[in-house]
Amino acid sequence: MKLPSERRISFVKGSFYGFLVLTVISWIYILAGSESGIEDFLSGRAWRNAGGFLKQLIGIDDSLTGGAQLAFLDLGRWIETAKLAYQTLLMSVLAISLAGVAVLLTFLPAARNVSNGDLGGMPLPALGVLYHLLRFIFAFTRAVPELVWAMLIVFFLSPGVLPGAIALALHNYGIVGRLSAEVVENMDPGPARSLRSAGASNLQMLAYGIIPQTMPQFLTYLLYRWEVVIRTTVVVGFVNAGGLGREFRLSLSFFQYTDVALLIMWYLILVVAVDVLSTVLRKMIRVD
Amino acid sequence: MIWTGPPSLRGVGRFVETRRLLSLVLIGALVWSVASVGWGDGVIHTGGSDALKAFILGLFPPEISPDFLKVVVAATWQTLVHAVAAITLAIVVGLPLGIVASGALGSPGRARLAVAGTFRFGLAVMRSIHELVWAMLFVTAFGLSSIAVVLAIAIPYAGILGRIYSELLNDVPDAPLAGLRSSGASPARVLLYGRIPMVFTDILGYTFYRFECALRAAAIMSFVGIRGLGFEIQMSLHDLRFNEVWTLLLVLVGLVLLVDYWSGRVRRNIQS
Amino acid sequence: MISAGHLVDGQGLGKAFGEQRALAPLDLKIASGERVALAGPSGSGKSTLLYILAGLVSPDCGQLFLNSLAVSQLRPGRELSEAVGLIQQQFDLVPQLPVVQNVLAGRLGQWGLFRSLASLFSPRERGLALEALSRLGIDDKIDQRTGQLSGGEQQRVAIARLMIQSPRVVLADEPVSSLDPAQAEEILKLLIKLADDVAGVFVASLHAPGLIREYFTRVIGLRQGVLQFDIPADELTSSVLDALYDLDRTA
Repeated sequence: MKLPSERRISFVKGSFYGFLVLTVISWIYILAGSESGIEDFLSGRAWRNAGGFLKQLIGIDDSLTGGAQLAFLDLGRWIETAKLAYQTLLMSVLAISLAGVAVLLTFLPAARNVSNGDLGGMPLPALGVLYHLLRFIFAFTRAVPELVWAMLIVFFLSPGVLPGAIALALHNYGIVGRLSAEVVENMDPGPARSLRSAGASNLQMLAYGIIPQTMPQFLTYLLYRWEVVIRTTVVVGFVNAGGLGREFRLSLSFFQYTDVALLIMWYLILVVAVDVLSTVLRKMIRVD
Repeated sequence: MIWTGPPSLRGVGRFVETRRLLSLVLIGALVWSVASVGWGDGVIHTGGSDALKAFILGLFPPEISPDFLKVVVAATWQTLVHAVAAITLAIVVGLPLGIVASGALGSPGRARLAVAGTFRFGLAVMRSIHELVWAMLFVTAFGLSSIAVVLAIAIPYAGILGRIYSELLNDVPDAPLAGLRSSGASPARVLLYGRIPMVFTDILGYTFYRFECALRAAAIMSFVGIRGLGFEIQMSLHDLRFNEVWTLLLVLVGLVLLVDYWSGRVRRNIQS
Repeated sequence: MISAGHLVDGQGLGKAFGEQRALAPLDLKIASGERVALAGPSGSGKSTLLYILAGLVSPDCGQLFLNSLAVSQLRPGRELSEAVGLIQQQFDLVPQLPVVQNVLAGRLGQWGLFRSLASLFSPRERGLALEALSRLGIDDKIDQRTGQLSGGEQQRVAIARLMIQSPRVVLADEPVSSLDPAQAEEILKLLIKLADDVAGVFVASLHAPGLIREYFTRVIGLRQGVLQFDIPADELTSSVLDALYDLDRTA
């Protein structure tokens, strides 16, 4: 019989070696497998292809476009694609907003100390069921990649900003939901309990004690996720959800590589803008 | 809210205004985004609600015929293998980058800050682009191959890991490090014996989380033509075989949750 | 509403947390106007007793009557908050709320849900809070985020909340343990006045024998959950206290 501490160490060691073996097998499979492409890389063919692509991207090689104006030097194109960038930004804000509202409505029963009455509420069995149900929903929505959600949703809703936003919202709902519930679970119970002694009912305690203490963290998580979402919004556009992503895919398939370069520039502008905005807004929470 | 206090404390009013401003901005963003959507009849397309019903029914039961399960296992293996290769490459590249970017090594002074700053900028560029966008570019550039896909995931992930590692290494409280330095340890030794042990569990935890993300990323690489769970989901959706879609979804979710559980268990065992 | 019997009437109050016995069954009767000090080393059950008296923790055995009302029958709200109020050692205010909200929380027992929620956005009865805070000398902090105040200022905010709540039984868990003597006396006087204003009762846990003799009428000694003594405050001697804390001064 092993001691618990010995068993723990052997679990960790076993995990480590097991993962090491998996790594070796994976790399062998990748490099030696049928689709590996290793010959292309070693022979230099892949690099030559890439060089050609790069030249077309920057516009040095315009054999495909027949000498047309470089997209990223064309003001008209910039203005046309600005609309798409706006759509992408809109999709990201909508996604975050939907996820945020959904979390606000459901994160409290998903916290252990709320559902089992530790914070002073009534430990109803129904709350226990709700706790497990919500935790499962968080786990499920979080585990499915945004693009897969988008693939599914585009099946039922007409393509556009909304299905993309919903897909992003679903995935991020699971992430922010779980984090927010954990904030409640790790919360200092003192202030909430002290409100009880001032005569607060459960709902009053919620409003004065629990919500104010969890809001700063919740908003911080939401704003952090916005930075991730803006990057993924473009990807969701690939399934025709609109915005820069859709145009990116089209331009790629029509070999309009300078357009692709322009769209990448817009993409980077959006990413930097959202990163900056998110940081500014998060600093405002700190002051709060 | 009318501030009725003495004018000398107007600074306090600034705090109050920031909170109000923040709430206004957030609520405004919510309202603007919801209002900008073209709500109306065109939202659910014809046949959409029928498709939705058929899809939900597809869960009972999910497809588990042996032939299909073989496909599922093969797809799972593809996804897993690409994810493992990508995350290990990302760690191997990201860890040294993160260490340099944290400024923990090298002699103090402006040179070190400049180097750290450059590395931090490099990491930022790497992680600004989503792995699927990298993948589409790489596949167009290099042609479709497993290596291109693994690189496409590994590059942004190395950037993300590098940034998180550098932040974790930087946030270490100085007191224990000062103790090591005063006993004559070089910056490299301080790093090895001081910083890394203190944040090891956090580093491990975040790396596990990135591995989970890599699994999802590998799954959606189907979009550029690599086989895997995403590829099979696309195929089954296209054929309207919803029972198959559900099986694949459940396997994908199961895989991700398994990694999540394993990660939690390893970290708990290390901490005790 | 002066009751015929004692304001605080506890019979056989006991509490255990899992395997740990926090309080052995104890009887406690306090009449209005009394000022009771609770003494004893940490872990002696003082906080547990205070929490039971405040209605925050239900005793495993025994009954508690406040103002002739059975506490076990009282739901949180008007009746309980009018009967008893507690200041905890960590004050336990909500750090993210502005001071005015933390103070007005003393009215939560009286306000309905709608009024409580509306007040979060625009404080009702702000004048009440302002008055309480100015009596404590910190009215200038009324709109500041509570978390930014110093420890001493936060304690006053907690006292202001209690002032607004105006319970008949005023409880305080280690209110003066981290204060210098001058501050300690000031805080004790404020809390005692709170209780006297409503012909109520003041119960506090503390260690300093000088303060106990000067400001309290009665002192109860606890040790490992068991009652050691219950004597008038002026009969408290250093040797009695030393024995309670197991201090061997002769060694």
